[in-house]
Amino acid sequence: VAKTSLTSPPWPEVKLPDPGEEAKHHAEVVQKVNRMIAAGQYGRLFAVVHFASKQWKVTSEDLIMMDNILEAECGDRIRMEKVLLVGADDFTLVGRPLLGKELVRVEATVIEKTESWPKINMRFWKRHNYQRKNIIRNPQTVLRINTIEIFPCLS
Amino acid sequence: RSRLTDRFWRVQEVLKYARHFRGRKNRCYKLAVRSVRRAFVKSTKARRQKKRFLRALWITRIEAASLEHGLKYPAFISNLLKSQVELNRKMLADLAIYEPKTFKSLAALAQRRRQEGFLAALGDGKEPEGIFSRIVHHY
Repeated sequence: VAKTSLTSPPWPEVKLPDPGEEAKHHAEVVQKVNRMIAAGQYGRLFAVVHFASKQWKVTSEDLIMMDNILEAECGDRIRMEKVLLVGADDFTLVGRPLLGKELVRVEATVIEKTESWPKINMRFWKRHNYQRKNIIRNPQTVLRINTIEIFPCLS
Repeated sequence: RSRLTDRFWRVQEVLKYARHFRGRKNRCYKLAVRSVRRAFVKSTKARRQKKRFLRALWITRIEAASLEHGLKYPAFISNLLKSQVELNRKMLADLAIYEPKTFKSLAALAQRRRQEGFLAALGDGKEPEGIFSRIVHHY
């Protein structure tokens, strides 16, 4: 077939590495990371947690404030289960989309349950003698992340 | 006869919100009332627009970071979503700022998924059946 402008695709041709060798390489990397986790050769861990319909980048001794009420008393320990990403200095574990519960453990304590500062909602139409002022105070909760732990159960 | 006794405090309630304004609006009640009203209305509307602005900011940052690794923003985001990584733009922007190594690995993941997608789109590389190609010459 003669060469036209449409014979080859517009993107550059790339060859993917051999699947067998790739699988070996992947297994090696997984073993290495498992050994590192088991030996405890990581410094500070950070995690991306999905909580209260928001994603938070969290480390230990972190304070988090959310704009809603939690059904937990002050001083309760909470375990956050939806972890999307965990990382240290040399390796990161990316979840697709979540990481397993046997891999990561993120613990937090409820510190404070307060209201936000009084926010003012005002509506005004000019020349129509219409103005409404509403002061709104949202409930807020403050959590402190105590620890992030990982366990060497990769496969 | 009934006289207003707390006019001072009623006026102070409005002026306290105008203390940091410029000019006579921070001292004179008549001017301050108008400015404070506009300030409140603008702040209510801005609370809705802040979400839009922040999202655009995150997208700009992610675009800059992914261009450093040789990927464009639409390619990066679409390939990340296709590999079932559901990090939102706020997190990606924070990771790009504070965890450059993690962002580099995410960019590599998106690049690899992109190449696999191209290969899947090409298919076998054979011609479809029953079709012949020939070049038309115009003279």
